[in-house]
Amino acid sequence: MELKELHEKKIRDIIDEKQVWNLPLIEKDASIEEVLSVLTGRDHVWVVEEKGSKKLVGIITESDVLRLLAPPRLPKYVFGKRYGVSLQHGTVKVAKDVMHRQIIKCSLDDKIGDALCRMINCGIRRLPVVKDDEIVGEITVHYILQILLGKR
Amino acid sequence: MLLEIGIALLLAKVVGLAFEKIKQPAVIGEILAGIMMGPFIAGYFGLNYLSDVTEGLAHIGIILLLFISGLETGIDELRAVGKNGFITSLFDVSIAFFFGCLAGYILGYDLKVSIAIGNILVATSVGITVRTLMEMHALHTKVGELILTVAVLDDVLGIIVLSITLGHGASSSLIKITIFFILFIILLFLIDKIKEIKLHIPRFALTLSLSFALIFSAFAKSLGLAAITGSFFAGLIFSKLPQRRRITDFIRQIGEIFFIPLFFVWVGASFDFSAIKEIGSLVALFIPMALIGKIIGCSAGAKICGFTARDAFAVGIGMMPRMEVALVVVTTEITMGIFNETLAHQVLASTILLVIISSFITPILLKMVYKGES
Repeated sequence: MELKELHEKKIRDIIDEKQVWNLPLIEKDASIEEVLSVLTGRDHVWVVEEKGSKKLVGIITESDVLRLLAPPRLPKYVFGKRYGVSLQHGTVKVAKDVMHRQIIKCSLDDKIGDALCRMINCGIRRLPVVKDDEIVGEITVHYILQILLGKR
Repeated sequence: MLLEIGIALLLAKVVGLAFEKIKQPAVIGEILAGIMMGPFIAGYFGLNYLSDVTEGLAHIGIILLLFISGLETGIDELRAVGKNGFITSLFDVSIAFFFGCLAGYILGYDLKVSIAIGNILVATSVGITVRTLMEMHALHTKVGELILTVAVLDDVLGIIVLSITLGHGASSSLIKITIFFILFIILLFLIDKIKEIKLHIPRFALTLSLSFALIFSAFAKSLGLAAITGSFFAGLIFSKLPQRRRITDFIRQIGEIFFIPLFFVWVGASFDFSAIKEIGSLVALFIPMALIGKIIGCSAGAKICGFTARDAFAVGIGMMPRMEVALVVVTTEITMGIFNETLAHQVLASTILLVIISSFITPILLKMVYKGES
């Protein structure tokens, strides 16, 4: 497939409906041990409202875990609760304590080119595909590469 | 001027790092660097740091500092404060404010000056407390959790108290404050709509956030409120954007590297040694009132929320330190012309001493409270 052609395609044209069953999902009240366990094999996990639900409420990425694992370092000017989040000091108990609540997302009708631009502008490598607040899939750089090279 | 700014940045970094090495806040080091850059030391070598340019840069530093505070406080976090945090915060802010006003009243200052002193004592800086609790492995305890929660509300309530009490003129200022907060609420709803717009302009959200912080500060100032009120609430609005973490990191970078250290250097350079001679009665009352007000306010709030007397006391001790926001508030009040020149120097010097003393004694007292516990 031509790259220009791919840019114009809509996400619904490339998304695999079965993908939703293979998404890394965890409920917001899951213990931090469960979160870390999922992240031993994946580089991110989508956080949903409750078990069995697909309502997206957050995301936890590799870099969040990196911050949790490293010895806590406070910045010069401390505000809010962000810097009190520490695995070492036991202040992180469940997924919602560490997740990002504001999620950058895309919809089924968005163009692939727009989704890629959003990833660059926001400095992220994956976007959840959301329909009526529920996660129905995800777009990652790997996934788009596979489509481009005809491996999907 | 370029030479002075260059030396100031380097000195602030070096002295700030030295203070971090001895487990003291870098901010105190930056103020000390400012004292070195002031007319008494650098002035002796022909350097003149205090100018309109550095004052302008310092004011941008103030705006960025409060914008970061608003971004990191966040609307979502405010919603999650809970009953205990809210009650303790309410006691904390009202009693600390009252003790400051009382100090002003006892010293014979007029109502406006007394209220301005009360405002300085409201906001807490929990950086030193968080570090101490981490050292004591007590951050995850009920006390640590409450301190972190109260600190979230503290700045918001402090800024609201500042806005209400420092307006110019009684009824008209109330209308202006109402206009400001109505616009804030409208913008909170609007930002939800804006975030759905798919613009593909590189770094647009970063430029938009920075320019909005400055515009909203100017708007607040035009209404007779403090510019910091505008920048703090601008931060709260932008905390709703999905790019919040990216915006915060960006503003932190430009602020922490350039503008904010220059603000603390400017505070230090404005320190007038001749003001110390007649500062006795002010310091003798201002500092104890600042420390006791927080202990009584937070302890009372925590006790009502069911904490044991010792834990409630620990919360009070943990909330004693004053730092960035107290210095921002005093600088703002000086800029607004609330104090006469002599008193301005005295209040600034007293606040710097409060920052140093509260940062020094809080870890010692916290460790004393939990002495003997593993």
